[in-house]
Amino acid sequence: METAVRSSIMNRRYRRNRIMMALAIFSSALGLFFLAVILATLVFRGIDAINLDVFTMSIPAQGSRGGLVNAMYGTVVITGLAMLIATPLGILAGTYLVEFANGSTLAEAAKFINDVLLSAPSIVIGVFIYGAVVVPMHGNSAIAGALALALIALPVVNRTTQDMLKLVPNALREATAALGAPRWMSMTMVIYRSAWTGILTGILLAVARISGETAPLLFTAGYSKFWNTGLTGPMASLPVAINTLAADPGPDLKRLAWGGALIITVAILALNILARSLAGRRSS
Amino acid sequence: MTASTDFAGRAVPDSAAISRRFRRQDRLFFLLTLGSATLVVALLLAILVVLAIEAWPTFSTFGLSFLWGTTWSAPRDIYGALPAVLGTLISSLIAMLIAVPLSVGIAVFLTELCPARLRRPLGTAIELLAGVPSIIYGIVGLFVLVPLMQSTILPVLMATVGQLPLIGRLFQAPAPGIGLLTASFVLSVMILPFITAITRDVFNTVPVMLRESAYGMGMTTWEVVRHIIIPYTRLGMVGGIMLGLGRALGETMAVTFVVGSVTRLQTSIISPSTTISAQIANSFGDADGLQLSSLIALGLILFVLSFCVLALAKWLIGRTDSF
Repeated sequence: METAVRSSIMNRRYRRNRIMMALAIFSSALGLFFLAVILATLVFRGIDAINLDVFTMSIPAQGSRGGLVNAMYGTVVITGLAMLIATPLGILAGTYLVEFANGSTLAEAAKFINDVLLSAPSIVIGVFIYGAVVVPMHGNSAIAGALALALIALPVVNRTTQDMLKLVPNALREATAALGAPRWMSMTMVIYRSAWTGILTGILLAVARISGETAPLLFTAGYSKFWNTGLTGPMASLPVAINTLAADPGPDLKRLAWGGALIITVAILALNILARSLAGRRSS
Repeated sequence: MTASTDFAGRAVPDSAAISRRFRRQDRLFFLLTLGSATLVVALLLAILVVLAIEAWPTFSTFGLSFLWGTTWSAPRDIYGALPAVLGTLISSLIAMLIAVPLSVGIAVFLTELCPARLRRPLGTAIELLAGVPSIIYGIVGLFVLVPLMQSTILPVLMATVGQLPLIGRLFQAPAPGIGLLTASFVLSVMILPFITAITRDVFNTVPVMLRESAYGMGMTTWEVVRHIIIPYTRLGMVGGIMLGLGRALGETMAVTFVVGSVTRLQTSIISPSTTISAQIANSFGDADGLQLSSLIALGLILFVLSFCVLALAKWLIGRTDSF
């Protein structure tokens, strides 16, 4: 009798366990399914648009041949400029917060403010750059776009630098100080070198994040069909081009949008995997 | 003082001069880092100041009633924030209701069930969802999910949930497929990897001793999760959920494509609607005067909203183990 009661309780516990674990497995399968649907849709719809024209010609008018090369060029230039601005500033700011002011109330406040920027909605960053740069410059420009993306990348680089510098053992700092090296030499010749894989991972993840951004570029770098190299004029980028072309009623331009979507997604996911494998090598 | 030389007659550097030079260089290095750190703080202030200045005409015209004004009409030049603010809040809330249980499920699978060899590739696959640009979520949502919503999901919802008392009203409206609920679905997939990553990380902080003791007592995996892991990691989990919420509030492109951009208060969550970010993305390009200022005011509201959510998340997590 007693064993029967106990086994019925056990059965109920095991049944509940099986149900909950099945739900956990189902959630994971669903997560993978979402990724598969997105990638399959991109390949299925985008592969037709991938040909030589896409990589050699600018965005066409309705009904004529063309490609996305000006948008790709724009993405590379705007992202590159943004990283040129954000990387040194981010590393230096992270250095100050960990090496010079660690633990002080002001540094804690600055770290918090950096995290606020890190999770600021990207469209708000776009609106800010519009007010601060586009309006005074009287028009969209690649520079404004680069500044908007730099503002998104800066807190990422800053945060990664902080986290990586914290992992560097203090013995290294003391050893370089004991040799009589000044702080800047100790940082550039020893500390940064031992943290550089981590910082590089952060930089790559920042590139991956900003090169897919659309919202902050809509009102800053703007859009152009043409091959523009001037930094003070509007410049297309892949995400903004996709945004514009996907809304086009014609099938040709829509197909071009899917081609662009496939290209940018593959590039960004590859960057993500590269960054993660770099991070994995460090931890192993 | 004569310059000292070594046995071969070469000048030996003056050690005092070297140490002066080092100190000067260090000073410069310090100022560079200090300047960069200050710049980050100044940028946040600049964002607030610029948004506030640009939004000023709106607040001086409508006062604080801009916040609860329900009309957004360019022809009449009357602007109220409530439809967009409500759209943002409701779509984020529904997205959280979907994404949180799924994320916890995935985290349980990754930490408790998954064979060790599959852990890394599966974790990376889920994290790749976070790497997909939001514009991709937008077009896939528009061209794949919206037709599905229109043909299958919404009619089924209207026929079932729509018949219930009280909440049934939320599901009764002409349903073109685009709308707040569709936006919520897309958002939930987008924030899933963020919440999963943090939940998995905090689950991994549970001491092995505690976990193994519970298994040793004969607890089932679910009981270990329910009674040991979740209570132990509660604060970190809530922090992760708040960070996901912050993402959902500010997401722009994915929502803009599928929400429908109808600036009216809707009684149903399946109708075309709008959110703060979609409103800005759609109307900013050709807005001027008071409308432009009102859009910037919306941006300011969004910034403040996401700031509050982040501050709450930080307070809950503690800084050390966030992200």
